[in-house]
Amino acid sequence: MTGSTANLFRVKRSALLVTVGCLLLLPGSTGAASVWFVSEGKPVAVERNVATIEQSVRQLLAGPTSAEQARGLRTAVPRASTLRSVTVRHRVVTVDLGLRFAAGRDPEALRARIGQLVRTVRGVPGVRAVRILIEGGTPVGLFPGYDLRRPVAAANDPVVHAPTTRDVQQRLVDLGFMAATGLTGAVDTQTSTAVLGFQKWAGLYRDGSLGEETVAALGRATRPEPKWHADGRRIEVQLRRQLALLIQDDKVVRAVHISSGAYGKTPTGSFRVYRKERYSWSVPFKVWLPWASYFSGGVAFHEFGSVPTYAASHGCVRVNHYDAAVLFGFAEMGTPVDVFDEAAS
Amino acid sequence: MTSQGAVRALAGGLGVVVGLVGCAIVTALVLVSLGLPAASRAEDSPAPDASPPPPPSVLVVALSLGDPVLQAGIVRDGHIVYARGLEVEVARALAQRLGIPHVRLLYVPPGSRQLTAATRSWDVMLGAFRPSRSESSLADLSDPYLGTDQAVVLRHGLARPSALADLRTRALCAMRGSAAARAIDVGVAPVRRPMLPAKPERLLELIETGVCDAAIVDASSVGRFVAGHGARLGPIAARIAFGDGYVVSVTREGAVTAEQASTALSRMRADGTMHRLARAWLGIDPARLRLLE
Repeated sequence: MTGSTANLFRVKRSALLVTVGCLLLLPGSTGAASVWFVSEGKPVAVERNVATIEQSVRQLLAGPTSAEQARGLRTAVPRASTLRSVTVRHRVVTVDLGLRFAAGRDPEALRARIGQLVRTVRGVPGVRAVRILIEGGTPVGLFPGYDLRRPVAAANDPVVHAPTTRDVQQRLVDLGFMAATGLTGAVDTQTSTAVLGFQKWAGLYRDGSLGEETVAALGRATRPEPKWHADGRRIEVQLRRQLALLIQDDKVVRAVHISSGAYGKTPTGSFRVYRKERYSWSVPFKVWLPWASYFSGGVAFHEFGSVPTYAASHGCVRVNHYDAAVLFGFAEMGTPVDVFDEAAS
Repeated sequence: MTSQGAVRALAGGLGVVVGLVGCAIVTALVLVSLGLPAASRAEDSPAPDASPPPPPSVLVVALSLGDPVLQAGIVRDGHIVYARGLEVEVARALAQRLGIPHVRLLYVPPGSRQLTAATRSWDVMLGAFRPSRSESSLADLSDPYLGTDQAVVLRHGLARPSALADLRTRALCAMRGSAAARAIDVGVAPVRRPMLPAKPERLLELIETGVCDAAIVDASSVGRFVAGHGARLGPIAARIAFGDGYVVSVTREGAVTAEQASTALSRMRADGTMHRLARAWLGIDPARLRLLE
């Protein structure tokens, strides 16, 4: 370290000590400060010109201004909460509040208001932790997620973040639209195929992309349910949705993105799988059909390279690459297959 | 006899009398200390058909706080200055039923030495606990006021189970290391290994998405578990018997007996007080859930 750098370091350190010293000597002293509110469940800071920590806390208790509320800012602190005192000792700020601050039973609101208070006070330079008192006493068990018997160093709000690709993939797996092998963390064709299946089920625009609407719908979706209820193993082909549901004991174990016969060429009704071929040669169309399970005459489930979002085949049920082997394994000989138009049935 | 002789004789007589009275007092004290004055004691003891003693004016209730729903509060200088929760309400209702006009709440932190102290400064304590042998010698337990049974939350679209056996073939899930996980092992013995996530958020996801057919959750907290997620979940279908329940621990030398506490709790159940308190604090009354057998 050169002499000038060392001097600069010493000057900076002295300045910091003076700042901290001022803070300790003048309890509650600060400058422009951040006051924390919430917006759509996330903490949001607003700048306020305040002279002391006490003023910061009072600004917090007062809540967002009308303009801030118009911007969507909210507070979890009950209206008319009162401040009894603010003291500072050894860089720990003790905030003593009135009983109203503990009002209500909603665990999220109770947790959020402590988060707001801790962020607001802890954001003041030099503050190490916040001790929270209610009516001069220690709250025990009143605020879920916080042990207020000792000073709090950091807010402990549940982390609210936009779902990652892996989160979305996990949801697709959980809901039965994708195999666990699709948990790659990257948006790939397997994910897009599964998204198409989900979009078909949820009645969304079928583009296979993880748009805002699709991600939001995934967040509130439940597992697909069969149209008909019965025990055992069976397959439902829903022609309007263009989905095949693999059902075991009345539970959909996989929802598969398919493409059936164009212009209603796939027959509706109740059938059974009667023939299975790992590779089946299609005589009329002169093409190999992998993973073929026949259930009505020459109509079969089989893998095909092109599985569009609409009915496009000559009558068979085209199955996407990622689900073809799964469906083939599921469709044992004699498995019932119900093909129907949801709107008509 | 001269006057001096008369005085001496009188003094001698008085001395004898004083001596005899003194002996009698000492003898009586000795007998009392030995516990022998049976004749006089028989008159002091209450008649068998006499009315019971009036209830004390204060019921001292020990609370460890720490649970936002069952018991939480504010502690100042070791005293509880404010408390709320189901168990706080149960304690107050209990005192009312026992004719005790005042309730004093005493803070006893969990793990405190006071819990195993030979003499205790409280009358009752509320909670789900199984006392140790040393504690058993100091306290009696009432009948449960709240069960520690486990609730069954179904996934969407699943038919309600009619018996415990219906759950055996289902995909079950519970929080890892919880009483619910033990209840699955002990009470259900499922065919498939249950899923035991570490976080409650994941447990909720598993049941929302139908990966699990049924989530097993402590019945006293199932109301909180389903709050705000009702549309994505099936019904809270039933409960599985598990554990000894939440009871009132009554100090032997305290103001009330375990029998009195049990009787009062029984009346609170009968007149709907317990149902009202459970609904208010837990969201549901676990006792009203059907018991799977």
